[in-house]
This record gives sequence, structure tokens and C-alpha cells, in this order.
Amino acid sequence: MVGAVLGLTLGSFAALAQNVVKIGVPIGLSGANSVVAPSVVQAGQLAVAEINAHGGILGKHVELDVADDGSGADGAVKAFNSLIFQQNVNALITMETSAARNAGLPVVARGKVPFIYTSSYEGRSCSPYLFVDAWVPEQQVPPVIDYFQKEKAAKTFFLVGSDYAFGRGMLGFTRKYIEAHGGKVIGEEYLPMDASDWTPVLSKLRTANPDALVSSTAGGAPNVTLTKQLRASGIQVPFGNLGVDEGTAKAIGADAAGVYVSQSYLTSLDNPQNKAFIAGLQKMFGSEMKTPNDLSEPEYDGVYLYKAAVEKAGSLDTDKVLKALPTVSFTGARGPIQMNKQHHAPLTMYLGQVQQDGSVKVIQSFKNVDPGDQCPKLK
Amino acid sequence: MSAPMRDAAPARLPSERFRLELGGIGALTLLGLALVAVGPLLLDRYSVNILIRSFLYGSIAVTVDILWGFTGVLSFGQSAFFAIGAYACGLAFSHLDFTPLVAVAALGGGVVVAGLVAALIAWLAFGTGVSPLYISVVTLVLSIVFVQVIYAGGDFTGSSSGLSGFDTFDLSNEAWFRIAGVALVLVTLLGWIFVRSDAGRLLVSIRENEQRCRYFGISTSWVKGALLVVSAVVAALAGYAYAAYTDVVAPDLGDFQFGTMLVIWVALGGRGTLIGPAIIAVLIDFVSAWLSGSLPFVWQLVVGAVFIVVIVIMPQGLGPALAGLVRRLLPRVSRIQPTAARLAEAPTYDIETHMQMGHAPAAVEITGVARSYGSLHVLEDISFTGRRGELVSLVGPNGAGKTTLIRCISDGQERTRGRIAIQGREVGRMPPERCVRLGLGRKFQTPNVFDALTVAESLRVSRSRLERLSPWRRADEIHLPEAAMQVARATGLVAQLGTTVRHLSHGAKQALELAMVLAMEPSVLLLDEPTAGLTKPERTLIGGILVDLVAKHGLCILLIEHDLEFVREISSRIIVLHQGRIVLDGSVEEVVTSELVRTIYTGEPQAIGEPAAAGPGSDG
Amino acid sequence: MTDLLLDILTTAGILFVVAVGLLIVFGVLKIINFAHGGFLTLGGYAALIVTELNWSPWLAAPVALVIGLLLGAAVERLIVRPLYSRPLDAILATWGLSIVVVQLITIGFGRSTQFVLSPVQGAVPLLGTSYSLYRLIMLIVALVLGGLIGVVMQGTRLGLAARAVIMNETLAQSLGINSELVRFATFSVGAGIATVAGALITPLLSIDPLMGLPWLLNAFMLVMVSGTSLISLAAASLVLGGAQVVVSTYSSPVLGALTIVVLAAVLLRIRPAGFARA
Repeated sequence: MVGAVLGLTLGSFAALAQNVVKIGVPIGLSGANSVVAPSVVQAGQLAVAEINAHGGILGKHVELDVADDGSGADGAVKAFNSLIFQQNVNALITMETSAARNAGLPVVARGKVPFIYTSSYEGRSCSPYLFVDAWVPEQQVPPVIDYFQKEKAAKTFFLVGSDYAFGRGMLGFTRKYIEAHGGKVIGEEYLPMDASDWTPVLSKLRTANPDALVSSTAGGAPNVTLTKQLRASGIQVPFGNLGVDEGTAKAIGADAAGVYVSQSYLTSLDNPQNKAFIAGLQKMFGSEMKTPNDLSEPEYDGVYLYKAAVEKAGSLDTDKVLKALPTVSFTGARGPIQMNKQHHAPLTMYLGQVQQDGSVKVIQSFKNVDPGDQCPKLK
Repeated sequence: MSAPMRDAAPARLPSERFRLELGGIGALTLLGLALVAVGPLLLDRYSVNILIRSFLYGSIAVTVDILWGFTGVLSFGQSAFFAIGAYACGLAFSHLDFTPLVAVAALGGGVVVAGLVAALIAWLAFGTGVSPLYISVVTLVLSIVFVQVIYAGGDFTGSSSGLSGFDTFDLSNEAWFRIAGVALVLVTLLGWIFVRSDAGRLLVSIRENEQRCRYFGISTSWVKGALLVVSAVVAALAGYAYAAYTDVVAPDLGDFQFGTMLVIWVALGGRGTLIGPAIIAVLIDFVSAWLSGSLPFVWQLVVGAVFIVVIVIMPQGLGPALAGLVRRLLPRVSRIQPTAARLAEAPTYDIETHMQMGHAPAAVEITGVARSYGSLHVLEDISFTGRRGELVSLVGPNGAGKTTLIRCISDGQERTRGRIAIQGREVGRMPPERCVRLGLGRKFQTPNVFDALTVAESLRVSRSRLERLSPWRRADEIHLPEAAMQVARATGLVAQLGTTVRHLSHGAKQALELAMVLAMEPSVLLLDEPTAGLTKPERTLIGGILVDLVAKHGLCILLIEHDLEFVREISSRIIVLHQGRIVLDGSVEEVVTSELVRTIYTGEPQAIGEPAAAGPGSDG
Repeated sequence: MTDLLLDILTTAGILFVVAVGLLIVFGVLKIINFAHGGFLTLGGYAALIVTELNWSPWLAAPVALVIGLLLGAAVERLIVRPLYSRPLDAILATWGLSIVVVQLITIGFGRSTQFVLSPVQGAVPLLGTSYSLYRLIMLIVALVLGGLIGVVMQGTRLGLAARAVIMNETLAQSLGINSELVRFATFSVGAGIATVAGALITPLLSIDPLMGLPWLLNAFMLVMVSGTSLISLAAASLVLGGAQVVVSTYSSPVLGALTIVVLAAVLLRIRPAGFARA
């Protein structure tokens, strides 16, 4: 009975959906990604507002539908189901944890919608529906290691991560890269994702006394606790953080000063697109604005890439849009982006260092770094 | 014995009641199956998707209710068993090709692993002397460890990302909906039949009074362990289906929050109702999926707050509370008719045949038994023999060690030193349930009964070692030996067979426990103040029955009594304990005339049997 | 080696501070307060409020104490008191309470991870190495807190009454001790200590609505093996916390994170009385 009523309501939603383009954003409003998620949603909202102000997509009004995935698999299954089958979204464009993305992919395959993943991740997630416009280890790791080896004469490295897929994936690649370039890894330690006491890891770090420390922790809490406890322990070592975004660095405050980061986007990038992007956010959100960062800007690009693909395909039809997606390009704050390398995108990477005030200063840039062989089965 | 129910309210027979209820649940089952059949036609795609999962969760909630609501085993680890089943599916299909053989092997593997882990948990948690809270602790630890193992599993287990996108059964959502729905209806139906059966009453009696059950010779550890294993297997099957349907497995399936959520659902739905938890689990999971997008935190808040209110104000749960309300509002006030089985005479004891074998061993043989707590010696060097056809009274002032001696005889773990043999067989370190199987029966000092059972059910459970309890039926007749029948009849229990034990008077509980112990047909009977709280005529009567048991059936009875007049009337021998030692072991005449006994017993010379000497009180 | 020793001592100190509130509630009320994790979280947010008001970070603990005492008093009246005769239900109801606390915090403060100012910064030289000053302070706090509770239990009327209730409640009542009042006061104080502990651990960590959960599990296991004695708790914190540090340092921190719960479970099986003497 209830079901029948619900069914009717949903039917009318579907009818309504004819005149709008619905973009689903399943995202970790709660849980591990809760720090960064609001900035991603804002980037998406800005892009949608701009597009609507200029006539929408194919003349249709664009709507953003945000659902909390709890940063985990179980929540993601619910969120993806809800967005795809209840809200009938036309596409998914979002930043998520790897667990949530993996859990969502089968739902995406069942629902057959394009899915633009805008989060940097450990790589090699492949699906006909999935496109990625953010970096993978092959793009992010080299700037940090190259800089430590050349400028800091680092020979020995200590790697620290959260015990999860991203942490292990990143550090696994980092180890290979270091060893291939004549360096030596003298320690590799992981802490459970929800653990907050880095004492034993720091003790080992002190004993090992490496030339450089590279970390890849889960976003948010573990990043903060590691940085704070490292500073409190008094250990002095060049510290490259692969898992920290600009917003989190700013929130940590003075303790983060001196940390090296490698990103495809930094607020200090000097180009007109970035200035317009930040100005747009400021105008739209005022004091509520979250600092844009490497995880949020790709969301903005992702929405525009989807727009370009739909317009090129001339239709919202999934197959046509998927065909158009790798062929279109958009120039945002990070420069021109095209997801033409096995559903991944070549990116310009920046090596930065966190300053006392939490801002990140660009030290070096690396043009059009190739993502490498991510999905050889996809073209 | 021809008309035992003469003065009782007309009670329904258990089988009649069972059939009546079965009709009700049958109708409900058909309704459930019908809903499952038409559901996919009426519901939108999203609801069908979500309900598949909700149905699987409902099945696990039913197992949690059987464990916790009925048996009192609070497990936070059902989520881990669910996840084991899910990972069996995910791992197999991710790392091996999807073939029917792999699918079956994975299912079997998941079930076996879950069963083995459950058996290990049972071994840890249900051993002798382990705290009843331990099962909750160790299942909590299980779920924590499980999640960490998955995290540490790297590419093999997919770590935090879990595994997804593996090849799986090519079934439509509608098919999955029907599979999960039918499974839920079946699990609930089978669970319902089981808990309503005679064996199901045993679960409640374990929850109510595990010690008493063990002294009926029931291996409660084994029953609880078997139940845990079966529940784990059901949860693993549900997990397998979950993984095969969603095409995703992730560590949070097995975490402690999910395990706790299952417990919350059961408490909300109504502990010990099965249908309540099944419905509430489906309802809450379904609604929270609908609300998760819009107001996830408020919804969690509401569930949490309602949960607190339910636990504090209506511990029976929402389901029963609503049902009670409906029943009160309905004009047709249906008074629930009491249900009780008939009592029938059991074939008489076969102890007499033993006796005729001539050189049969002594009933109880105690040699050099001692019990100390650290440096405190409660019993020292106790030796005596109880023969068949003897009624031996243990007397002595408070703290003499009488109850401790009874405890040492009935539980091999208790004594510090010495040997005890019952019917010629060594007790060794046997737990109570095995001592009982040697032919022992023990009645405790204060009435040790099952508050939530009826008198008839209690008697049925007490007979479980002699007559197997059916897991799908309720017997109409309880066969009691003559002595138990006499006690039941003399104390008016026969008129109260359908009464819940909680509502009995103190004296009636005493009588019930005695009747239950006699129903076990013991050859050695340990009685700790069996007549305290009974009226004078009742005591006389019980005294008569005891004498009769000894004389006619050749039992050996060891009796602790403070009413020394009573002791003098019925004993064939008296053993006097003082400060943990036997000071005198002799005939009634010898003891009564002993100057020594008078002195130690009362502190001043006084004749045993004079009322002044008798005093109630506890005994160390 | 000095580092390892300091790690063990400070870890034990932190565990003791986190678990002691749960212990005294368990000792006197015989119930396990699963809202303890929620109270810890609340203490963290009390510290956050202090930071946001630009008050001195040293004020975090006193503010948390006041909040904890008041909340504990209310919770005892409304939720815990009706459940004294149903200890298992009390676990469930307090778990429900912690869900409510977490959701209220989420609604009030948002879901994101936040940080508080630490009253002290950096490391100090000690015994030939340099060591985190704040961790050393936590060790001192543990010693002071343990000592203080010990003195209250041994030297005051409330402590005497509490000990009487711990040992034999019926007897205590017959001696004219108002056990209801003792329970009320104990729960309130236990909640207060929990919030203080939450406020104290946050400078090392970050704050989010679920921060109390891992601590609750460790505290629960420590109390299970400690029974009702402060000294047992100190011993358990030292032994299990020490084992955690050793396993983390010489094997892997992933195993280390499991050390406390697994060791405690094994210990309880072999010796149900745990670290308690009886």
C-alpha cells in the first residue's frame, strides 16, 4: 500500500526530471571525508550556478543532488541507490573515499549512468562508466621524491600511512619509485584508520633517523594527529605529505608549517581561471566559503566536462555521453583538462610548501604529467 | 490420579494451543509470502533494492532475538558472522572465476568458517566459571578483530575499500527480492515453531536459571553453543546473499556498530517475540535508507532516543506494547486461557532391580573430602558412605559446612581434596550436569525455579534428560514418577499447572522444586532444607514421601534440615558437622543422646529436637 | 629504550585517565556506562568551545568537568536509576544515550574534524632524549587523578559510603547509608571525570563526533579486567598499555591497536577476576 503510494510519487519525480539535468553528488558529509566534503559541494554548486546563469545544459536547468555516503561502503550503497533509482540523476560527479567509490560502482553499472570521479586516488579503478579528472600516484609522487633527492640530498626515506587502500596504494608506489631512483626505504609503518595515537610510529621514526619522511594518511583526523604529534615529539625531518589538502593544512595551523605537498591545484596558482573561480566562490558563499583545494576544484572541472560532453553528444543518453567524454576538454583553474588517457587525465602538478599562515607556496611545477597505464582495457 | 484437573480452571492442552497459534502464524506466513510475491509489482525500483537488504537484516535480527531474547545470550558479533558469509562470496568471486562450483564452495566455506568461529567463541564464552557477560565482551572483540583483519588483508581482502565489481549471480532485483523475502519469512516461521516447542521452553529456562538447568543434567554450554553456531550459519548465509546481490563487500559489514544496531532493533521490536524484531529491523532499515539523503542525523537521533525510552519505560519493546494497546482497545476482551499439559504416571523407578544385584556399590562414597578458600578451611577430612535405602540427615550449627558439602558432592569442581563416588562411579572434576547424570538430584536451599515458565513447563524441562524435548512440537503429557506426582498433588501444584511460577507462593515454589528434582528420578537425592516455608501438614506429608522413597524405591537421601524434630522423625542416620568436620555419625538415638552434640549445637546442654534449638538461617 | 619506557608510562597514564571514570561507575553502580565514549567526546567539544571563545586552553578541563557533572546528574536521574536492577539493559540504554549524544553534537557542531589549542607546545629534554611535553603532563595528570580519587575514597565520608556500597550494598543500606545518593553522586562524578579526560586527550588528537568510540572500547576492556579497584586499573593500564606499545613498536601498530582488546579477552577467559585479587 505504502509502496504503491511511494511508487506514484516517484513516477511524478521522473516526469519532472525531463526538464532538468540532475547531477548526483554522493559524498562523505559524515565520517572520514567530512572535513573536505563541504568545499567539494561548494565547487559543484558554483559550477551549476554558473551554468544555469548561462542557459543550463542543452537549455535544461541543472540541479545538484547531494547525498551523504558516510565515507564508507555501506553508506555509499544507500546513497548511490537513492540517487540513481530514487532521484533518477543523469550523472554522478563527486569526490569520495575509495571504499565508497568501489561500493558505488556496481550500482552505477546497474543504473547505467556516467560517473565522473573527481578525487585523487590510488589508481587503477576501471569501469566503462567511470572517468577520473584528478591525479593518481604516478602523477603525484614523483615531484616530492625528486625534490627531496635533488634539493635535500635525501637517500633514506621513512614512509607512514593509514592502513587502508589509498594509504597502502600510495606508499606502495612511492617505495617502488624511490627504489627505482636509487633511494632507500628504511621504514614503512601503518596505523589503523581510526587510530589516533602515533607514538609507536614516531618512536620508530626517531630510531630510524631517515633523511625524509613521506606520509599518506586518510584525510582529516589522522593527518592532523600525525602532524601535531610529530611536532610535539620534536623530531626534525623534511616531511612530504601525500594525503593532505590545502584546507586541512590551514586548519592544522602552525604545526603544519614546512610540510611539503604535491598537488594539481593550489589556491595561490596565478591564472585568470583560478582568480575567477575563487572570486565566484567568495561571491556565492561569502563568509560560509570553504577554502578551495585539490579535492574540490576537480569537482568544478568535472561538472563543466560533463556539460561539454552532453553538448557534444547533443543528448543526455548515457552511451552517447560516455562516448563524448574523453574527447572534450575544459580549461579551469588547473589548466586544460581532458580525460583522454584510459579515462584518466594528464595534469600539471605543483610542489608546494605550507607556510606559517597555512597558505601553500609553489616551489616547482611539472607540466602535463601523464597518468600512466591506468586502465589498459579501456581506450 | 484419575481426575487430576478436577479443581483447576479448564486449561487448554499445549498441542491445542500450539495448533491454534500455528494457525495464526500460518496465516501470517501466507500473508508474508503473498506480500513478497506481489511486492516487486507494486513497489518502485528503489524500494525493491533497499528492501532486499532490509529482509536479509531482518533474518539476522531473528537470530539475535533467539539468542538474546529467548536464551539470554547477548552477542554483539552477529555482524561479524554476517560479514564472514559476505566475504566468502566476495573473495571467491574476486579471486576465482565465477562458476557454479566456486559459488557452492564459497557458500560452504563461508558457512563452515562462520560455524567454526562461532564454535570457538562458544568454547571461550560458555566454559565453566566464565562470567555470563563474557559472551558480550568476546563477540565485541570478534567484530573489532574481524575489521582489522580485513583492513590488514591488503589487495586480497581489498582493505578499507572492500571488494566490488566481481562477477556474481545474474538475477533480477525482483528475484533477489523474492529470495530474501522468502528467506525472512521462513527463518521467522522456523524460529517461531522452535521457540514455541518444548525445546524452545528449554531456552527460556536457561535464560531464567542456568544453574537449575545444569542440575537437571542439561549441558547448557552445549545448548548455547549449538544455538550460537546455528545463528552464525544463518547470519553467514544472509551475508553471502548480501554480497552476491550488492556485488560489494566492505569491512563495515562486520563492525561493532552494525552488531549493536541489530541488538537495538531486537530491543525495539520486542525481545522474545521474533516477529517484532523481524518487522522492526525491516522497517527501520527501510525508513533510514529513505531518510538517509535528507536528514540522516535527525533520524539517527530519533532512533537513539526512542531506543532509550523503550529500554527504560517498556523493556518488552514496541511490538508487545502496541499489541497490548490494541488488545485493550478492542471491545472483545479475550482472556487468555491457561495452557497446561496433563500429568501422567511415569513407569516406576528401576532402582529396585539394581538393588537385587546384590553387591551393588554404595550410593555415595565420600573419602577425605576437604574444601578451603585460601587459608579458610570450610570442610576438612569428611568421609562417610551413604547406602541405598538410607535417609542421612546432616545437622550442625550455621557455618558448619553443610551446604558446602552438598555443593562438593554435586559439582566436581568444588572440592579442594578428596574423592567422591556416586553409584560406584568417581565424580572426578565433573561439572554438575555430568554429576547429575550419575544419578544425583539436588534441591537448593532457597527455591531455585524458572520464574517465567508455568508449573507444567517447569516439570517438562526437569524431565528433559529422560524424555527428549521436541524442537517442533509440544507434548500434552508430562510423565512424572510417583513421588513427584505425590508432591505435586499434596501441595496443590496440580491445580496450578498453567500458572506462571513467578506468581506462586514461596511454599509452592519449594514444592515445585522438590517435584522437579524428583521428576529426574535420582537415585541419590541431596536436599537442602526442602520443607522451609511449607505448612506443618505439608511437611509431614513430604516427610512421608521421603521415607517412602527410601523404603520402597531404595533411594539414598542426604538431607540438611534445621527442624530437628522433623529430622528425628524421618532419618535413618544423622551426621553432625561442626566447624567443617564430622563430629558424630550415628543412629538417631546415638546422636540425640550425645552430650557432645548438645554442647556444640547449642552452646549449652539441651536436647536435640526441642523447638528452641531449631532456627532458620543460612549456612556457609 | 628510554623512549620506549616513556611511551609505555605515558600511554598507561592516558589509558588510566580515560578509563577511571568508567571504573568508579562500574564499581559503585555495578553497571557499565556505554555512554562513557559519548562523555569523552563531549569533553573534547568542551575544549573546542574554550578554544573558540579564545579562553586559555588550561580552562578546557574545568569547563568540561562542570558540563560532565551536570549531564551525569541528569542522566542518572532519568535513565540510569530505573535500570539498577537490569544491568544489561543499562548497558544498552547508555549505548543509546551515546548515539543521541553523538547525533546532537553532529547537529550542533557539524560533522567535520576540528582541533583545539594545546596549552603547551613541543618537546622537552628528559633523560637524554627529548619527549612530548604534553604526554608527560598526561602522565602527571593520571598520577594526580588516581591519587585524588584514592584520597577521596579512603579519607572522606562519601568515599567511605561508596566503599561500603561497593562491598555490600544491602549491608550499607542497613547501616543507614543512603545508597541512592551515593550512586547519584558517583555517576555524576564518573561522567565528570570522563568529560575531563575527553578534554585532556584532545590537544594530542583531533575532535570529531565519533572520537570517543575507540577509547570507550579500550576503557571497557580495561575495566572488565580491573573489576572495581583503582590499583588494578593502574596495573591493567600499565600491562595492557605497555603491551600495546611494545607490540606496536616491535611488530606493527595495526596489531598493536588490537592488543588491549585481545589480551583482555584472553585474560578474562583464563582468569575471570582479571587483575583484581579475588
